[in-house]
Amino acid sequence: MSAQSSSSTDVADAGRVPRAGKRDVWLVFWIVPAFYTAFGVIFFALARVMPPPRPDVTTDQMVHFFHAHALTIKIGFGILVLIVGGAGIANGIVAYHMKRMTVGSVMAYCYLGAMSVGALPGCLLVAFCFLTAVYRPGRDPQLLALLYDLGLLSYVGSLGCFATAYFAFAVAILYDKNEIFPKWLAYVSIWQIVTEIMAVPVFVSKAGPFAWNGSIAFWLGVVVFGFWLSCVIVFLMKATERQPVDEPPLD
Amino acid sequence: MANAEQTAADLDAAAASSVSSAARQRTLHTPGDGHMWVMVLGDLIIFGAYFIIFMVHRAMKPQEFLASEVHLNINIGVLNTLVLLASSWFIARSVQAARADDHAQARRLTYLGGLCGVAFILIKAYEWSTKIDQGYTISTNEFFMFYYMLTGVHLFHVSLGLLILSITLRELRNPRRCRLFMVEAGATYWHMVDLLWIVIFALLYVMR
Repeated sequence: MSAQSSSSTDVADAGRVPRAGKRDVWLVFWIVPAFYTAFGVIFFALARVMPPPRPDVTTDQMVHFFHAHALTIKIGFGILVLIVGGAGIANGIVAYHMKRMTVGSVMAYCYLGAMSVGALPGCLLVAFCFLTAVYRPGRDPQLLALLYDLGLLSYVGSLGCFATAYFAFAVAILYDKNEIFPKWLAYVSIWQIVTEIMAVPVFVSKAGPFAWNGSIAFWLGVVVFGFWLSCVIVFLMKATERQPVDEPPLD
Repeated sequence: MANAEQTAADLDAAAASSVSSAARQRTLHTPGDGHMWVMVLGDLIIFGAYFIIFMVHRAMKPQEFLASEVHLNINIGVLNTLVLLASSWFIARSVQAARADDHAQARRLTYLGGLCGVAFILIKAYEWSTKIDQGYTISTNEFFMFYYMLTGVHLFHVSLGLLILSITLRELRNPRRCRLFMVEAGATYWHMVDLLWIVIFALLYVMR
């Protein structure tokens, strides 16, 4: 854009009430609820990963699961591998607002790094396991059973990276003096760490509350995650609204 | 209401005779800040869900749970309960000292409370190691899975509490800049950790 047209735009804007927040940040923001809605539809309705199928089933039943849901797994996870970058965008805008805090950038980088590593086992691996399983349905049933276990264990059992990210998020919020996010959101993130800890036994438990489909390891975790995510989206929106349009770009 | 205020004022006067009128007013508000109360009440709801799920599964396998409970060492459980109650007592007195502007005493009491917290972790580590030595691990049965997970996630809360107490100590180190609500919020969290342990102790060790 030339300097002349830029100044004429400024003159035109001067008469109007400036819209709160920066346009590019708003664009990124709206991708977050859109991505998580698609994520929910894919994982719940199409790929049948949520609620997870039972761990205490025979090899034949695992093979049957892949045969019965082959088409929806292909559609759902086919879309997911295309739009999974939305997870990066969601982490990016959180890190962006974390960088606006008085704590500086370090916690934002911790959050971004931990979430990025966590997305591989926590989101992508199950998609590739299930897509591989339905790619050649005539494969050895034991191999299909392996993909079933590997996909679901990695999906529910990838814990440490997320716990680290939540901790960095909580510390940043508690130290921040710019009040980008409310302090209680830090404590909601601590609950997330609690639910991650409670999911550790998925690697030894095949049935009951601590199995990968259990009331504690899975369901309570999902409820707290849903609450946390809703809060984060609402307060990302408020943080974007409150950001002055003339705030200089971050380093 | 007037009576309640009177009682609160009397209690306060008994606790510290030289307390200022401003400090007396402070005792009438909800201690700490609203954010910490969100943490405490929400955490209690989450733990409440864990406890209900424990009771449901206990009701499904009463024999297995009863047979497993007897392998826990109730003496160690009682010792840890006393250690944590003592720590709560120190922390409560520390808040009173901070309200009376006796920051040195408040610091000493917070250190004592924190030491009790460390002692709790060491005793719990000893208890876990003896259980593992005896062959009772997380995969022994559902009761022991609950035992390790409930006490483990509680240990995480104790560790977090020690971190919060260290922040309280930093506040108390500089009397002029000390924010009383931070001291109260830390104590509120610590008492929650204590309360959670008492319920866990009752459910795992005592209930027959």
